[in-house]
Amino acid sequence: MPTVLVIAARDDWPTDRVVKALTDGGAEVFRMDTAEFPQEVTLAGRIDARRGWSGGLTTAHRAVSLADVSAVYYRAPNPFSLPATMSKPEHRFAAAQARAGLGGIITALDCRWVSHPAAMSRAEYKPLQLATARTCGLTVPPTLITNSRDAVRAFVGDVTGPIVCKPVATPVFIEDDQFKAVYTRRVTEDDLADLRGIDTTAHLFQAWVDKAYEVRLTVVGDRLFAAEVHAGSDAAHTDWRSDYRSLTYRIGTAPPNVVEGVRRYMDRLDLRFAAFDFVVSPDGVWTYLEANPCGQWDWIEHATGLPIAQAIADELQGVSR
Amino acid sequence: MTTATADVREAFPLAPEGGRIPYSSAPPSGPYTRPWILRFARVPDATQAIVKPPAVYDNELQMSRGLYDGPLPYMQTHNPTVPDGNVKNPPPLDEGAKD
Repeated sequence: MPTVLVIAARDDWPTDRVVKALTDGGAEVFRMDTAEFPQEVTLAGRIDARRGWSGGLTTAHRAVSLADVSAVYYRAPNPFSLPATMSKPEHRFAAAQARAGLGGIITALDCRWVSHPAAMSRAEYKPLQLATARTCGLTVPPTLITNSRDAVRAFVGDVTGPIVCKPVATPVFIEDDQFKAVYTRRVTEDDLADLRGIDTTAHLFQAWVDKAYEVRLTVVGDRLFAAEVHAGSDAAHTDWRSDYRSLTYRIGTAPPNVVEGVRRYMDRLDLRFAAFDFVVSPDGVWTYLEANPCGQWDWIEHATGLPIAQAIADELQGVSR
Repeated sequence: MTTATADVREAFPLAPEGGRIPYSSAPPSGPYTRPWILRFARVPDATQAIVKPPAVYDNELQMSRGLYDGPLPYMQTHNPTVPDGNVKNPPPLDEGAKD
């Protein structure tokens, strides 16, 4: 029986919504987290000249034949859970074997993906995102990535108007026993007066794009769900993640040139899901900021009523609406 | 023999060992060794943090359900998670906290 394989953390509750939409529609679902392998999930995969990967995955509660997997929903699963009594070298060896064995078979499945993990990994890189967006006809802000103080000063001189800095990769970390986040910051003269530390790693600077509001454009397969994000505070106006409480949302519509560019972007990076962020200027120009191939979408669905979970379930089943 | 292999983690990405955001009690270093942008790091607004309700994973439903009567946990996920600075209970995936 055709089965949708869902690979996600057990406590990823938005994935629950997708599972619910799938099962309510009568789909067969096999959900697992990679953390269940190898202690709670058994893999037995075979391939030969006669047929591709067969055999299956089994838990204490259900089993799925690899040949029956019609689609895979992949969303940030956890690392393998290996016996605690393993030595560190054994652990590293076993983890690599598990990744290549289980991960290798799963990623070799010829089925629908939302999205294929290799494509998602590649699409995480901001420099590739910006280059792809530009190639696909989307407007991108002038951007500098550097570890050079001189390059920062030159960029500031070249850009008309304010600039912002933001992390190139994850913005959160723990140090000094505290959880910290780095949001987008409008760079001040005082900030630029002391650039010590620029040379320690890659830093991203971008021209500030004057904004009326922002748009979270969630793309699922061929469907686009535009939600306007209106900031109600100065902090949220610079980075809406810094003040969720001040935000209001409205369903929007992407202009045709943006729709076309986004579709090209999805095709080019082989994605079936992505959460795009755009700035919309007071004169209505949409500027691309980034697209997260594993972005959150659940709160947007709640705030706007846009049926994103159902769209993901539809995409996994090859249903057009 | 020289062995050259690509990093296969890229093809099957998982959360890092030890959690998405590794715990550390190490303090910031100095201005010459600390990444410049980290001078703007701050502890997020704890008043906006969402406390996850207690839940247990149901193997039959293949989703979480509340420990007590009430809506399924997924019904309560409609607020974006906000890091609350509690390193003992880091939040789940949030916008920006990417792999």
